[in-house]
Amino acid sequence: MARHRGAVLVDTNVIIECWRVSAWRALTGGYQVETVQMCEIETQTGLQRRRREQQIDLAELRASLKAVHAVSDNERATALLRDEQFSFLDAGEQMLWAHALTRTDAWVLCGPDKASLRLGIRLKFRDRLVSLERLLLDAGFRPRNGLREAYTQRWLEKTLTELALLEGKQS
Amino acid sequence: MSAKIGSRIKALREQHGQSQEDLARLFDFKDRQTVSAIETGERKVSAEELLRAVELFGVQLDYFTDPFLLTGEGSFSWRQSGVKSAALANYEIDAGRLIAAFRTLGPQVGHGAPLLRRALGLTKQSQIEEAAAAGERLAAEYKLGDVPAARLAEVMERDLGLLVLMVDPIKGVSGAACRLPELDVVLINRQEIAGRRHFDLAHELFHILTWDAMPPQHIEEAVPKTRTRVEQLADSFASAVLMPASVLDRFGDWTTFQDDKLIARLNATADELLVSASALRWRLVSLGRLAKAVGSRIPENRLRHNGHPKPLEEPLPPLFCKSFVEVIGRAIDQGRVAVRRVSYLLGLSIDDLADLFKTYGVEPPFAL
Repeated sequence: MARHRGAVLVDTNVIIECWRVSAWRALTGGYQVETVQMCEIETQTGLQRRRREQQIDLAELRASLKAVHAVSDNERATALLRDEQFSFLDAGEQMLWAHALTRTDAWVLCGPDKASLRLGIRLKFRDRLVSLERLLLDAGFRPRNGLREAYTQRWLEKTLTELALLEGKQS
Repeated sequence: MSAKIGSRIKALREQHGQSQEDLARLFDFKDRQTVSAIETGERKVSAEELLRAVELFGVQLDYFTDPFLLTGEGSFSWRQSGVKSAALANYEIDAGRLIAAFRTLGPQVGHGAPLLRRALGLTKQSQIEEAAAAGERLAAEYKLGDVPAARLAEVMERDLGLLVLMVDPIKGVSGAACRLPELDVVLINRQEIAGRRHFDLAHELFHILTWDAMPPQHIEEAVPKTRTRVEQLADSFASAVLMPASVLDRFGDWTTFQDDKLIARLNATADELLVSASALRWRLVSLGRLAKAVGSRIPENRLRHNGHPKPLEEPLPPLFCKSFVEVIGRAIDQGRVAVRRVSYLLGLSIDDLADLFKTYGVEPPFAL
């Protein structure tokens, strides 16, 4: 597939997974990778919520990102009032989506939590949801250490179908 | 979302002793009807109005939108020893989050609150013997079997519709009963020794089943100097549930044992019934199976740890309970709540969360 040329918004899970499989340089070398301040904070030691944490150097992380966005209270309040599903996300995921809603460019979002994906479907952004595996392959990089399943293209396709069905049943 | 925000604005307004007119002025609304419509959820608030409420009441934005927050809807009764009130208040918020998560996510994944609520027909005027008789009947009618302590939590959940959560609380907290409009919950400190844990469970069950007739105090001493009438009734009920006469009778005639043999028998039987030997001693006295003078003569230290030099090493009960973990698992699987959000909520790393699901035989619903 053709490599995406616009902004790639990534969440905490993706940054940590990239670090784990030594794919961060490939990702940020191949794309304009952006995130929000809360996700940046959540990648730091003690806040990763992982038993075995990655040593993610903040300076290196910042230098490699195209942008780290602040999210205003107004943007977050607007998002929370737009769809209740926002309130079921982790703080970083919530702010990343709140930021995405303020943009008018052709961004894509890489965040593999099902709740984040379900929100994307509800907000009618299904075609903007991308897998880390697809991004890396399109950039010509195949991680030596395998990606966890939720970062693969096959898992994303299957999960989006299942979540779309759940949404369809509700409407 | 509008109903939730509205009810929380109302709760805060009332806490601050303000009228709807007062709030209308602060928000620059034309009249109090606008405030009323917001509070009932009929009128949506704008982002600007929500942030104005944040500023006026001095709370975080999440206070109005967080689905995992109990804001005055739950009444707790804590069984504790020497816990500072500020620490307990903070822990109550954390425990409330677990309960709120179950209450919010359960109905979304097909696990609704029970239709009916059970109650015992006891009052503060009831006799101690009546509470014990109620405990005996509960053990018999719900078929708690030869070791009632082993099945009590399961029966409380399956047959009585309660949520029983094994937790790692702050130091000094033994357990709690919590009543919500649509759900009853018992929290038990899983680090306690088995005998105390089971007694707490049965004791809290009494509070749940008599909440309307005799609302328990917000804070109870686990080992009080003097027991209130309600606590005496609760203890009598708990003893009878865990040690019904029919169960004790299968151990034969207690009057034939004396001194060391009696103590050894008390300790061994208590181990078998998963209760404390001291509780067993007083239960036998109250049933008339043991003379009060004989029971009183037994030194407390001979019954400590049921006669073992230290508490028996036993596997900790897993955190929370199966129905709680299943609800959380289905909610994650259906994309209703984020894994990291649950990880914060339960105080577990994402990897420990995966292990928790496996403990209950549930496939972890994520591959992050």
